[in-house]
Amino acid sequence: MTRTAEAVLVGVASALAAFGVALVEFAGGETIGAQVGLTFLVFVIAFGGIHMAIRAWAPDATPLLLPPVSLLAAIGFMEVYRLSPYRAGLQRWWILIAAAAACALLAVLSRNGLGILRRYRNLMLLTAVGLLLLPSLPSEGPLPIRGLAQNGSRLWVVFDLGFTELHFQPAEIAKILFVSFLAAYLADRQAALTGAHRRLGPIRIPEPRQLVPLVVVWAGSLLILIYQRDLGASLLLFLTFAALLYAATGAAGYLIAGGLLAVGGGVAAWTVFDHVQRRVTAWLDPFSDYADTGFQVAQGLFALGTGSLSGAGPGLGRPDLIPNAETDFIFAAVGEELGLAGSIAVLCCFALFLAAGFGIALRSRDRFRSLFAAGLTFVIGLQTFLIIGGVLRVLPLTGITLPFMSYGGSALVGNFLLLALLARASHEERS
Amino acid sequence: MNGPIRRLAIGLFLGLAVLVGTVSWIQAIAADTYRSDPRNARQAIAQAGKERGLIVAADGTVLAESLPDEADSRQFMRVYPEGPVFAHTVGYTSSLVGDGGLEAAYVDELRSRRDLTFSDIVAAILGRDLRPRSIRLTLDADLQRAAFEALGDRSGAIVALDPSTGAVLAMVSRPSFDPASLEGAEAAENWQALLDDPDRPLADRATRELYPPGSTFKTVVAAAAVDVGVATSDTTFEDVRELPLPGSTATISNYGGSLCGDGTEVTLMRGFIRSCNTVFANLAMQVGAADLGIMAEALGFNRELEFPWDVAESNFPAEELEEDDAALAQSGLGERDVRATPLQMAMVAAAIANDGVVMQPYLVDEMFDADGDTVAETQPEELGRAMEPSTAETLEQMMERVVTEGTGTAATVPGVRVAGKTGTAQAGEGASYPWFVAYAPIESPAIALAVMFEPVPATGESDTGGRVAAPVAGELIAGWLENRR
Repeated sequence: MTRTAEAVLVGVASALAAFGVALVEFAGGETIGAQVGLTFLVFVIAFGGIHMAIRAWAPDATPLLLPPVSLLAAIGFMEVYRLSPYRAGLQRWWILIAAAAACALLAVLSRNGLGILRRYRNLMLLTAVGLLLLPSLPSEGPLPIRGLAQNGSRLWVVFDLGFTELHFQPAEIAKILFVSFLAAYLADRQAALTGAHRRLGPIRIPEPRQLVPLVVVWAGSLLILIYQRDLGASLLLFLTFAALLYAATGAAGYLIAGGLLAVGGGVAAWTVFDHVQRRVTAWLDPFSDYADTGFQVAQGLFALGTGSLSGAGPGLGRPDLIPNAETDFIFAAVGEELGLAGSIAVLCCFALFLAAGFGIALRSRDRFRSLFAAGLTFVIGLQTFLIIGGVLRVLPLTGITLPFMSYGGSALVGNFLLLALLARASHEERS
Repeated sequence: MNGPIRRLAIGLFLGLAVLVGTVSWIQAIAADTYRSDPRNARQAIAQAGKERGLIVAADGTVLAESLPDEADSRQFMRVYPEGPVFAHTVGYTSSLVGDGGLEAAYVDELRSRRDLTFSDIVAAILGRDLRPRSIRLTLDADLQRAAFEALGDRSGAIVALDPSTGAVLAMVSRPSFDPASLEGAEAAENWQALLDDPDRPLADRATRELYPPGSTFKTVVAAAAVDVGVATSDTTFEDVRELPLPGSTATISNYGGSLCGDGTEVTLMRGFIRSCNTVFANLAMQVGAADLGIMAEALGFNRELEFPWDVAESNFPAEELEEDDAALAQSGLGERDVRATPLQMAMVAAAIANDGVVMQPYLVDEMFDADGDTVAETQPEELGRAMEPSTAETLEQMMERVVTEGTGTAATVPGVRVAGKTGTAQAGEGASYPWFVAYAPIESPAIALAVMFEPVPATGESDTGGRVAAPVAGELIAGWLENRR
């Protein structure tokens, strides 16, 4: 596939976003007007901009990354518009901001390359930790930056700009910095990590001493879980860490130990926190406490079931009956209005993106780039699996966003930056 | 290093494959279950304002009807002319909370087939009738109204069956609500008020709530004893004021602490018509938990009953009682963990009336199309034989004497031979559940019923089945037989 094909596909996705908005307006009995044109314009500027930035600053990057992302964003935007035109208006600004950030990042990296991330790996870690701690700031006080508790969790930071407040979810940026640090750390320490292993049958067991960082990050994840009650981010960071350790060393023991610690931490959280307990109950049988804890999951299942094979049509279903439909449950909302066809299309887009991302990792000759690309791709894949799995009751629900689709500025900015980094990694590997 | 990364990728792709499989299952195979779930308001919202078929009582009285909306000629309004009298059975249709009762169970039959769903389009192409269909219930409008009146302001339920077919003649639960109040501008407010009401008007006490059946359960114990040959109506028991329970310091005494007979010996017949607890505690232990369990289950306990909605499962915990004679003795009095719906106890009376054969209870007699032609008709169905005809005969003799000279004389209907059994289940704090199960006329039973009232605190010893529930049963039997003549 060529760069031109990428441009064509991005153009098609932009047209689909505008067409989706037109269908929603038509279904609502409104006249089709400015919203359609505005949506098309924003998508063309945002994705056309990223496309041009890749042409300029990462010309050898694979053209396979941008098209699935633009289509996911288009479907997600249509559904957000259907659920709340007001929020969709904000989302349009965020798409522009996120695209601008991605372009800027590509421009900055064009000078020094990804190596700069590797050089300043400890700074990356410190920034990540700092970002993760931000929501624990006091909710009240004179500071212009405050933490915000919502639904019993502290995932938000509020920047008081004087004339307006800006809400931000730092975990969405922190995950990138964290992966960047890990990839650099593991690439630098390769010899030490792969050297000493014991064997237990076919499984290579890391030396106990090697497990120390794993346990430290596990404890950190638990702290996030305890103090911020953010099950999703906690699980995402920890499992990404275990996966990258495994990728760097090939020791399946890390994955097994990581899995056991995650399950152990989960069970411990389950016994201690009733908000975790309620999620597990709602997962096992959402209809046992339908009116309360099971309501959201049950509504998601109702939405998907009612959507059936071909869906109700954009604007013709009732995804507004699902609580948090435009964030955590965007997949159920899409499934209701676009049917099984739409659900599988979304999953296929994610599969394409993962294939492209892992392709970059597998072809990279540089260890750091390879681990970095694998980590970034893994984060997107795991996040997708965790939230869609939660909606579909494959897993307990962890309140995180669906990449590229959910409503929310921090998630869009974070994931578009991630896209830019992957494009850069691809460019460096091919040139 | 590429090996592990490749395996991580494969792991994630397998995860995505699981998601594709699960979402396919939810949206293709299980889709109908979720779509038609009564709690899924989507269908009710889509149906709001659309025409639905009629729901009529056995005599044609309209219970639910769609009338054209005066404001918008393409829209319809669902009206319930009988209001709260049939509310729990007929149900409601609400774009706020979905459908309930038969409106939910028969939504596919009642709805108009002009929705442009895929199956509707296929039906239209095939030239099928797209007009909504209607259902005729087995409920008798007069009997239902009389039963509703008879419960008065007190919480309770009445279920009346045709013993030979299982057709439900009346099914009332109080307090009730107006189904029409769940649609319209004040629906949300009304729904919240119903949820907040401590008397729980939305609860269907006839089929979806469980109660200790008290002494009405002695019919089941006596049937088991006679059927397995442990006792006949002439078998004698020691007449004591108090029966010590084995392996326990507790005792069982008769109502008011009295003797059952003259203080020496008492027959099963006398024990039954005077409802003596000492006799039945003894008898339950003699029959044993296993045989009691078999009889209870044959009559419908511990079984999922087929009904338009999920009926609460009446419970006789036979296995737990195997090793615990004290508990078994108390269970023989319909107390402890024995629980039944009023529908279940009506089925017990109906089975005795029907020579021991249990009929499947049903509410919908037939479905008819817009021209009034019958499309489908329910055929009475046997659930099985619970007891020998001779056992039913013995029970009938005992139950007749309950009404002529025992605890149930208040159910007497002049000129009609009535069989009945009282029950006064303890509710604690000096309150009780008055029960009465009955059928009549004995020569050719036409109606079997159960009457149950919820406890009223501190009503004490006077709130018995014989005093409170039996007269209601007698009145309803008299009215029903009168109307049929």
